[in-house]
Order: sequence, then structure tokens, then C-alpha cells
Amino acid sequence: MSLLATQLLGATNFGSPSGVTKQAHEVIRLWRITYYFAIPIGLLVIGLIVWCVVRYRVRRGSTRQPAQFQYHIPIEAAYTLIPIVIVGIIFGFLYGAEDREDAVAKNPAVIVHVQAFQWGWRFIYPNGHSQVGDVAEEPNINDTSTLPILYLPENETVQLDLHSDDVVHSFYVPEFLFQRDIIPGIKNTVDFNITHTGSWIGECTNICGTYHAFMKFRVNVLSVADYNAWYAKQKPGSVTNSGRSVTSYSSDTGGNS
Amino acid sequence: MTILHERPAGAEPEFGPGRVEPLTEIIPGPRPHGWVRFITSTDHKQIGLNYMVTAFIGFLTAGLMAEGIRTQLAVPNNHFVTLDTFNQLFTMHGTIMLFVFLGPFAFGLANYIVPLQIGAPDMAFPRFNNLSYWLYLGGFLILLFSFMTNNGAADFGWFGYAPLTESIHSPGPGADMWIIGIALTGFSGIFTAVNTISTIFCLRAPGMVMFRMPIFCWNQMVTMFLVLLAFPVLTSAMAMLWLDRHLNTHFYDPNGGGQPILWQNLFWFFGHPEVYILALPYFGVVTEVIATMSKKPVFGYKGMVAATLSIGGLSMGVWAHHMYTTGAVLLPFFAGMSLLIAVPTGIKFFNWIGTMWRGTITLSTPMLFCIGFLMMFLLGGLTGVILAQPPLDFQLHNTYFVVAHFHYVMFGGSVFVVFASIYYWFPKYTGRMLDERLGKLSFVLLFVGFNLTFFPQHDLGLRGMSRRIATYPDNLGYNFLNLLSSIGAYITGIGVIPTLWNIFRSLRHGKIAGDNPWDGQTLEWATSSPPPEHNFEALPPIRSERPLWDANHPDMLTQAGH
Repeated sequence: MSLLATQLLGATNFGSPSGVTKQAHEVIRLWRITYYFAIPIGLLVIGLIVWCVVRYRVRRGSTRQPAQFQYHIPIEAAYTLIPIVIVGIIFGFLYGAEDREDAVAKNPAVIVHVQAFQWGWRFIYPNGHSQVGDVAEEPNINDTSTLPILYLPENETVQLDLHSDDVVHSFYVPEFLFQRDIIPGIKNTVDFNITHTGSWIGECTNICGTYHAFMKFRVNVLSVADYNAWYAKQKPGSVTNSGRSVTSYSSDTGGNS
Repeated sequence: MTILHERPAGAEPEFGPGRVEPLTEIIPGPRPHGWVRFITSTDHKQIGLNYMVTAFIGFLTAGLMAEGIRTQLAVPNNHFVTLDTFNQLFTMHGTIMLFVFLGPFAFGLANYIVPLQIGAPDMAFPRFNNLSYWLYLGGFLILLFSFMTNNGAADFGWFGYAPLTESIHSPGPGADMWIIGIALTGFSGIFTAVNTISTIFCLRAPGMVMFRMPIFCWNQMVTMFLVLLAFPVLTSAMAMLWLDRHLNTHFYDPNGGGQPILWQNLFWFFGHPEVYILALPYFGVVTEVIATMSKKPVFGYKGMVAATLSIGGLSMGVWAHHMYTTGAVLLPFFAGMSLLIAVPTGIKFFNWIGTMWRGTITLSTPMLFCIGFLMMFLLGGLTGVILAQPPLDFQLHNTYFVVAHFHYVMFGGSVFVVFASIYYWFPKYTGRMLDERLGKLSFVLLFVGFNLTFFPQHDLGLRGMSRRIATYPDNLGYNFLNLLSSIGAYITGIGVIPTLWNIFRSLRHGKIAGDNPWDGQTLEWATSSPPPEHNFEALPPIRSERPLWDANHPDMLTQAGH
């Protein structure tokens, strides 16, 4: 019964996205293993508590005396050793998973330089083209049309080079099941192999000041052909700000730095 | 030194060899009373109550801030408060709840209950104790009044990640008052820890060997060692931050070669033991309440002491599990240590269940709150095992899943036990019982409201809702769950009112409690309610960890251990 429950819940992920990257498989696998242990253990303990309260509560007129035992070595040994074994098993599964998730390739297909700042993003491509977006004068949280767009190809190793201009930010795309902090002074590089085309909203998850909630971006994952076509159209050194092409960006630095 | 021998009936001999000089000279004249007594008292019971009342005011204050946060988040694209006000609200909510409410409330319990349970007349350093309360109150007031400064209170989250806390990003005195306020409560905590440890080591009554101390005292002792290890690190980190802000040092400022990650390491080196500082004393309360209400000895007493000690030990080596996503920590080590904490925590759960097993359980209000604690803390523990795994934390870090997790630990866990402790020991504090019906009403409202508030937040986090965002768009599937959560927050807020009314009313009209209303097992029930100055006229013989039970139930003596 509990196995059925875990499989049902595992299939729905409790509302979590199911992950669109190769790296996310590690996460989904660990979720499953954790369910298999956590849900039965949780039900067992809650069952024991409810049993005690229902069975051993004092009823009116009862003359039952409380038992006065205090130690039971076999049971105590069991509830010490079995959890150690379970922890060992979970550790065995997760050991290495984070290394596989964090592994960075030597020769990625695309390297994008990600700069986070208060409050927006700058995505700089190898030819110098950059996609920028920051908080509008009077921002509207429902307006996603001015978000900076991170274009990425499908089924290729994509490397993001994370930098912060000012305070600690965090790069998070819920569908990637992954986030990484962007800390001044720490060099952080992450790889993704995205297996679906699509468009998703990403966000900063680390409190970074007044407009933290508005520090979002869009990820557009294109097929390799579409990506190459898009990339070929971007002139070296050109800037697209909040979805609009900006010709003389170099003189327009106010508000971003 | 604590058992008073029978006093001679008549006057003491004025001179001669029978005359014993009293250690403290009793100054004749009127004793201070009213406000003067409140301010100058060095009685551990008065100071303990001062702590608990002040901390509870902190709870109500920060609770109102939480209602403000939930009102802002009830519907998408809301403008109930400004963005900066929202940031101030959640920052000060967290700061006050942790530094002013949960920790100091436990210090109040340590002050009031520990000397009574070990048969001591007072804390080891009564005047030092008084000083630590006033430092704490000063810290609280500074934190509170920072809202009145020109830029408002601190607004960078309760863990204040540098460099957002540097003066260029957070100008104004609000952040400075945050630093000073926390540093003052930090000193107060260190002093209380010194005092409590000295009391436990030096002032136990004859016969009260360490392995006959109630679990509550053991837990307080381990907590206080954690305070001694953790709080000085925090206070130093705060001092360095203050230097950065005012004397242009560069401990955390990357522009001068400083390391923002240093702040994270220092803060969490304090911050993770802090979580156990806020939990272990309340585990102790749960153990006392469950044993008393089940009329049984604590099951696996020695195993439970060992579990507490190992939680204390492990908690010093897991700080970086708050920093998995920084890419700057050794993941397997911290993951392994964090997972291991589940083992002693599990032991405690089975101890509590074993204590109830085949007992006679009275479902009084404190017991109900403890059962609520068991359920909620179990869920918080299981989500803790999820978050301890780096790959899962990469998904869930800084989302509402984490918010749900730690509220299940801190609110469903510790705050429920705060209420249990109020209902359990109120008769001892005041001599009057609290009303059971109001107490149960309060419990039901809090239980329903709490779960309605925080259970949906697990799902919000899985859907990718980041914490600390002041508002959210209407098309990401967050709307309904947030509305549920806000309704739950209001029910939780309403749930506190019956308890407040109960306390207010029972102070005058409560049923007279007597010395030992719960058929208690430990020494605090062996004196009058409230206890006189210096606590005890006489103590029962202490031959097990529940001397009063042995005295009252000679037919059901505590068996010797294995």
C-alpha cells in the first residue's frame, strides 16, 4: 500500500516540475529514494504516536496502573542501528550525485557569461552580443515582456559563467531543478544539458535589496538549428535591452551598474 | 548546602559555639516591591519570568509582522506594504523570533526551572543573571526601535548576507541597530550560558548526581554549551561587520579584497548550532510533560542523554549545509554529517513513544501541545532529511520549501512547546491553574492554522516560488496556495488570543493549583506554588531521576537502570 502511494506521489512530484535537463535526473532519482524511506517511516512514527494516545489515554473509571519499565536494550539498539543503516543507504545514493550534477565540461558547445546586478541580468555571448534587462521605473510583476532573455540550444552542453556586480544573487530556473549562488569573489561555473525546447521563467532567489522580487529572466531553449539561426543574426558587440535592440548601449550605462 | 536541616524551634543562641555566622547578612528594613523589585531582583524565578514575559511580547510583535507579510502575499501583485517595508518586516520577523523570542524564552525556562529541578536555592551568579536580562531587554528595544529611524529597520534578511549589509548597499542606522541589538542579546545569551552551566555543575542537591538530573536539565546544559561555542562567533562577526560599515575595513567587502563568503561561514557556524539552541530546551520540556502526563519514567533515559549530546556534537559540524548552493563547500562531508543528525533525533522520537507506551495518558492541554509537537516536528525532520541532500537542496534552496521546513521545526516544533510549557508550569509560577477549555481551544486553532499556513508552502517551494519576494505574478500557479497560507496565518494569530485571555483571567480567577497539580515527578513540584525565595524548605531523598514520584508512589518506585 505504501509502495503504491509512494509511486503515485513520485509520479506527480507533489507539484514540482519534472526537470528538463540531463542533470535533473540525479535530483529526480534522489527524490524517489527519499520517498521510499521517508514516507513509510513518517507513517510508522505517526501511527505509533496515534496508537499510544488512543490506546493508553486515561478513561473515566479505569483503574489501570501505568507500567514503570524504563529500558529495553534490544528495541533501543534497533532504533539506533536501523536509522544508521538507512542514513548510510541514502548517503550511498547521493554520494557522487552532486559531483555529476556539478561537473563542468572542458569543451562546452556554448559559454554564456551571466552577470547579475541590482536588479537585473546581463547575458553575454561569445561574440560579445549581450541580452540585458533590469527593473523598470514602475515595475509591474505581471509584465514579463521586458525580461532579459537567455537563449540556449537544446541537447548541447551549455556552460554558464556566473558573476555578480554587487551583492549576492542566485541563478535559479525551477524547471532545471537547480540553482547556484552568484557571490562576489567566488568563481562559479555550471553546465546544463537541456533536453527539451521551451520557454521558462528564471529568478534570483537570494534577497538582494528592494527589487529582489522583480529580478527575473526568461530562458528560451531553441533547437540547435534555430539557435544557430538566432545567433547568426546577433551582431558582435550588439546589445538587446529588455527585449529592445539598443544601438548605442556603450553610452547608456546608467541604472545598470 | 541546599537541604535545610530542621530549624531550631526557638531563637538561635546569640553567642557561643552554637552560633553560626550567616553567609549573607540580612539587611533589616522594608524589602523592595513593585517596580523596584522587578528591576533589582536577583531571584532566579523573577528573572526567569521577566525573560519569558519579554520573550512572549517579542513573539506577539514578530507575529504581527508575520501577519503583515502574509497579508502582502495573500494575492498576487499586491500593494499592501511597500517593497522596502516588506523587506524590513521579514527581516525583523526572523530576527525577533530567533534572538528575542525562542532563545530567550528557553533562557527564561532555564532560569526558572533548572535550579528548582536540581534542588538549588538560586542560580550560581544571581547578579550576573540580572545583568544578562537587562542586556537582553536593551537588545530587544534597540531592534524594535530601529523601525523609527529614517531609513527604517534592517531589510536584508535575518542572516544579513554581506555585501548587502555594507554601508553602501544598506545605509542608515537601521542596520547598525540590528548589529548592536543582536550583539547585546548575544552577550546576554553567553552570560546566561555561563550561569546555567555553573549552576548545574556546582549547585545540585546532595544525591542529585548527573545521571539523576531530569532530561530538561541535561538538554539545557547541552544547549548552554552550544551557546558558549556559537554566540561568540556571531558577536565577533557582528563586530567585524560594524567595523566594515564605519571604519572602512574590508572583512566582507569584495571591493577591498574582503570575502563575502567569510560572513556566510561565520554566520552559519553560529546559525546551525543556534537552531539546536532553539530546539533542545524544548525537547527537554516535551520529555518532562510526556513523562508526567503518562505517569511513567522517561523511556531509555541514558540513550536520550546520549542522543542529546550527539546532537550537540554533530550540530557543530553541519553549518555549511546552509551553503550548498554557494559552490564553495565540501558537499559530501556536510551532507553526511547533516543526515547523521536524523539518527539521534529519531532516538528521541522513539524515547517519547516508549515513554507513552503502556502509560496512563492524561490529555491535558500541555500534553496536547506536545502531541502536536511530535507530529509537526516529525514532518520538519523528514523535510530536513530531504534538504540535507545537496542535489535536492540545489532545487529547493531559498524557496518556500525551506520556509515550510524551518517553520515546521521552529513553530510546529518549538513554539508549540512554548505553549505546552506555559500550560504545564503556569501553576508553579502563579499558584493557579490555567483554564483547560480555553487551552484546548487555543491548541485546536493553532494546530489547524499552523498547518494551513505552512503545509501549502512545501508545494509553493516545489513550484519554484522563491522566498523573500515581496510579490508574485498571477500566472505561475502560486495564487491559491498563497491565499490558503494567509488564511491559515490569520487563524494562527486568532489561536494565540484564547491563551492570552486565559493567562490574564487565570491570574485572578484560576483554580488554586496546590504544590503538585499534575502528580509531577521532579523536584520543582516538591515546593510551594509559587516557590518561596530560595525555593525549598526540605527535599525528598533523591535516589532516581524522579525523586518526588518515588516519595509519592512508594509502590511504583523507579527501577534501577541497566
